[in-house]
Amino acid sequence: MTGLKLRNVRKSYGAAEVIKGVDLDISPGEFVVFVGPSGCGKSTLLRMIAGLEEISGGDLFIGDNRMNDVDPAQRGIAMVFQSYALYPHMTVRENMGFALRFAKKPKDEIARAVNEAARILELGPLLDRRPKDLSGGQRQRVAIGRAIVRQPDVFLFDEPLSNLDAELRVHMRIEVARLHKELATTIIYVTHDQVEAMTLADKIVVMRAGVVEQVGAPLTLYDDPNNLFVAGFIGSPKMNFLAGVVEQDRVRLPEFGNQSIPLGHLANPPAQGSEVTVGIRPEAFKRGGAAGLELTIEIVEHLGNESFAYARQSGGQMLTLATEDGRGLQPGQRIEARFDPAHVMLFDTSGQRIR
Amino acid sequence: MSRVFAQARSGLVYAGLSLAAFVSIFPFFWMLVGTTNTAPDIIKGKITFGSALFDNITNLFAQVDMVQVFWNSTFLAIVGTVLTLAISSLAGYAFEMFPSKTRERVFAVLLLTLSIPFAAIMVPLFVMMAKLTLINTFTAILLPSIASVFIIFYFRQATKAFPHELRDAAKIDGLKEWQIFLYIYLPVMRSTYAAAIIIVFMANWNNYLWPLIVLQTNENKTLTLVVSSLASSYYPDYGVVMVATVLATLPTIIVFFLLQRRFVEGLTGSVK
Repeated sequence: MTGLKLRNVRKSYGAAEVIKGVDLDISPGEFVVFVGPSGCGKSTLLRMIAGLEEISGGDLFIGDNRMNDVDPAQRGIAMVFQSYALYPHMTVRENMGFALRFAKKPKDEIARAVNEAARILELGPLLDRRPKDLSGGQRQRVAIGRAIVRQPDVFLFDEPLSNLDAELRVHMRIEVARLHKELATTIIYVTHDQVEAMTLADKIVVMRAGVVEQVGAPLTLYDDPNNLFVAGFIGSPKMNFLAGVVEQDRVRLPEFGNQSIPLGHLANPPAQGSEVTVGIRPEAFKRGGAAGLELTIEIVEHLGNESFAYARQSGGQMLTLATEDGRGLQPGQRIEARFDPAHVMLFDTSGQRIR
Repeated sequence: MSRVFAQARSGLVYAGLSLAAFVSIFPFFWMLVGTTNTAPDIIKGKITFGSALFDNITNLFAQVDMVQVFWNSTFLAIVGTVLTLAISSLAGYAFEMFPSKTRERVFAVLLLTLSIPFAAIMVPLFVMMAKLTLINTFTAILLPSIASVFIIFYFRQATKAFPHELRDAAKIDGLKEWQIFLYIYLPVMRSTYAAAIIIVFMANWNNYLWPLIVLQTNENKTLTLVVSSLASSYYPDYGVVMVATVLATLPTIIVFFLLQRRFVEGLTGSVK
């Protein structure tokens, strides 16, 4: 098993810098997910690791070897693409064995590797078909099989499930997780889907505009985000953000009829009168919480297992509330949304977390 | 009422199509009929099959070294097609895969050259070939045609539909750029190549003006030049001309029917 180290890795296209100095350590066998909005540079960073994009500055180490200028095929990586990128003129068997055949491996070794990958991914009956005769899910399994056959040190996945329908995506997500368990290889996985990130990753790297905003375990990012961006990006439905002003040991919320909530226990509390953003996750609203906000429900969505209520006070900002016992909620109903002040997060005007 | 109108309309459409088919097919039919008739019969406008086929063939082979002429045309068409496709498809691939501002400018200039008629460059080209002492050689025919701007443009446009992720996948599989071109691009783009083969082969096979200027001795003459000289003699034997015309037409028809399906796919830009 092999780990990776990125040291001040940069990428520029002319004057435009798209990756602005990324430092990252990936342990051997770790499942790391790059996540972020479109255009944040996550795919570019993955392609730089793969060797498909030149690295403009900094160092990339795979294992102990500096790989900046090494050919993609020599980096010990295999990549699975969003569009599968299967060679259309070859059968599944030929697609999977192509890299080995090209590396002039003996035929029986190629056959063994292809059959083993086909066994793992249950591709046996499809081996003599061409990609155009396969469904989307089957094509993606072949693309993964092609990667497995190469026995890489590091697997790179570039939004591999984006082209699949919702049901198949869940199925393939489980397949990828199973695969990681079975192969125990380092995986770097790019997605914009935070559910994929949360469910698959040992470690999530949240990116924005070419910068790593935070690195951590999924639940760490969920429970303890460093800034407004990460707090808003991780978690579905999105965290509620309320504008507030610090007054004594409370935060006054002007958009909510100047109701106030307790400041909570902070090591570095903000100065009196300073403006802050209050973050409350939709699922933090629970009966019996020590603090509360008086709101009027406007829309209710019942999903069966839980309900989402969208509520505000007299034309102010809309809040999302998620509750498992909300079947009785009705539009127009006035409620006191209770929550535990310990679950409230505060952010300063630059978006950094106040702890 | 509307049914009658629809029937009348489809009747008109079929009548129009039948007329178009007749206009397209009749010259071929007349050509075939002509091969079996004597020159006086042809001039009289006889459009039924006669019994002069064998005589016409014998006369043609007596007048012209057809084996040599056929070989010349075939050699020039095949070698010209292979070279044109190799050079022009590589250029089209490169223009699309390695874009840069300079290359875009070069490409724009290349496209501009499409608007210059051949007649305008014929004389300078001849002078150039003469200085290179290539007059009356096949090289003089092949050299100016192998970098075809139209085919470069055609391949560049077709390459836009080539999935770039295939190239990335191939790089990760260890292929160099030329290997990607040879083992991935070429088979994936086979329909594009098929359409280009037909276009270039026909252009080369039917090439008349430039060979007429450059090829000066009989042993280098191509089929188009021979047909033309047979037809423009003082007393043209039209039966013989028709046999030569059939021979000149056959290869393009064969190439077209062999690649017909791919030709349509290639023109409609299908990459599967």
